Amino acid sequence: MNDEDIERVLKSAGPRERPPAEIERALRNSLRTEWRAVVADERRSRQRRTTFALAAGVLAAAIGIWFAVPQLTGQAEVIGSMTLAAGEVRARSGRFDSWRPVAAGQVLTVGQVLETGSAGRSALTLPGGVSARLDHDTRLTLASAGEIVLDRGALYIDAGPATSAATRLDVITQSGSVRHVGTQYEVRLTGSGVRLRVREGRVEWQSNAGGIEQSAAGQQLTIGDDGSVERQATPLDDESWGWIAAVTPAIDIEGLPLADFLSWVARELGREVTYASPGAATEAAAVVLHGSIAGLTPRQALEAVVATTRVHVVLADRRILVSSQEAASQSAD
Amino acid sequence: MVSCHVDQNLADDQQLIRRMLAGDERAFDAFFNAYFARVYRFALPRLNGDVEAAQEVVQSTLTKAMRKMSDFRGESGLFTWICQICRHEVVDHIRARRRSRHVVLIDDQPELRMAIESVEAPEEYDLVKSYGRSEVARLVRAVLDCLPANYGDALEWKYIEGHSVEVIGQRLGIGTVAAQSLLARARIAFREALEKVFGADAAGIATSLGA
Repeated sequence: MNDEDIERVLKSAGPRERPPAEIERALRNSLRTEWRAVVADERRSRQRRTTFALAAGVLAAAIGIWFAVPQLTGQAEVIGSMTLAAGEVRARSGRFDSWRPVAAGQVLTVGQVLETGSAGRSALTLPGGVSARLDHDTRLTLASAGEIVLDRGALYIDAGPATSAATRLDVITQSGSVRHVGTQYEVRLTGSGVRLRVREGRVEWQSNAGGIEQSAAGQQLTIGDDGSVERQATPLDDESWGWIAAVTPAIDIEGLPLADFLSWVARELGREVTYASPGAATEAAAVVLHGSIAGLTPRQALEAVVATTRVHVVLADRRILVSSQEAASQSAD
Repeated sequence: MVSCHVDQNLADDQQLIRRMLAGDERAFDAFFNAYFARVYRFALPRLNGDVEAAQEVVQSTLTKAMRKMSDFRGESGLFTWICQICRHEVVDHIRARRRSRHVVLIDDQPELRMAIESVEAPEEYDLVKSYGRSEVARLVRAVLDCLPANYGDALEWKYIEGHSVEVIGQRLGIGTVAAQSLLARARIAFREALEKVFGADAAGIATSLGA
């Protein structure tokens, strides 16, 4: 169902009836009066509750607060958490809410608007384990568990390997929306449209006019505000992806096999792991890591971890080439 | 996330109520602008098109809604909650006056009401074939009313009245880019709501409407 279908349905159904203007005026005035009475009653009721609470003492007040907090905090649906917040990152829960700083570990709810400042970046974990990274000067709305509205800046999505069961997520921009099929991609709003780059898997772009374009790994779509779409190749691991590494939440490597760690680094760097020999693969699977890589980028973590093992890695082309140190020494000789 | 209780609206609903109970005049205007016309359209066909009765029912409905606002917990959308009040008011009005014929609309039938209030319609339930063009058209308009207020208005302004995104943004008091984003969200919500209510694709609905 595209935009033309929507237009046909709406035009066929016709406009909704407007209430007569005189009824609207009359009801607005009478309801405003009624509303002011409700507000006055609410204030009196609040004052009575306050007086009672004071008289009842500290214990009763504490119990009252304990019961009141869930009501005051609302019942918005929790859909994820802030995994990493670097620099200025803030949120608000609706159009009447004020902005508040957000820290790593805080839960995210439907309807929240998130914003990063000029020196801020952040990473979110969403339903299905989908990881979202926000670059500087980005604003988005968590419209639902499966929809993010990107108002400005850039967003990177890592929905897991292309072979996994994909969790539905639409990234909506002013020009159209992006839907992934198990993938890693970046959506960046530019002054004149949208730039969509796919690092792994495949995504589908649907413009507001209903046009659909698919894009695969290594491709970039440049979508103009006029609806034009330009397709070109894009590198998968150059410096333009570097901002994502800066907001990659570190994984817990305690007890993790080296092979799994290498796979994680490879995904984050847009590369593939290649073992130079069966022996190297066996060794990587057998080595169990201890310690922490907190605060390190994936590339820094790779250097730090490999230095403590007997394997040797080389970053070449789009690969992380892994060999045993012994084999690497013989090759050097 | 579609129809009468839209998750993304719950937080806004709660905020709106808090501001209204705190005495914020702008919050009252936002409430009235968002719900008055939709509740009126909800009541009018259930009162057999009696405008005077609709005015009385809408007034009593919105008055009761405001009086009970502090009890609203967001378990359904605010519009769904207000419609529940309105249904009771319609019945009470007819009992008291005995002058209007109580109209039971097809969207008050349990299976369709569930669909409109966001439970998916069974696949085999082919509404388009079961009802006439005017009823289907009215249901499409009812679906628009079940979307967040700005969504229904924005879709009408864009696709029926043919206004530009700039004009829509001006009417909503937001920028052009924000208006484009809102339209994108509105299209998605409308599309999903139609599919839930009709169990058919939009092209089929358009055909049944004679487009």
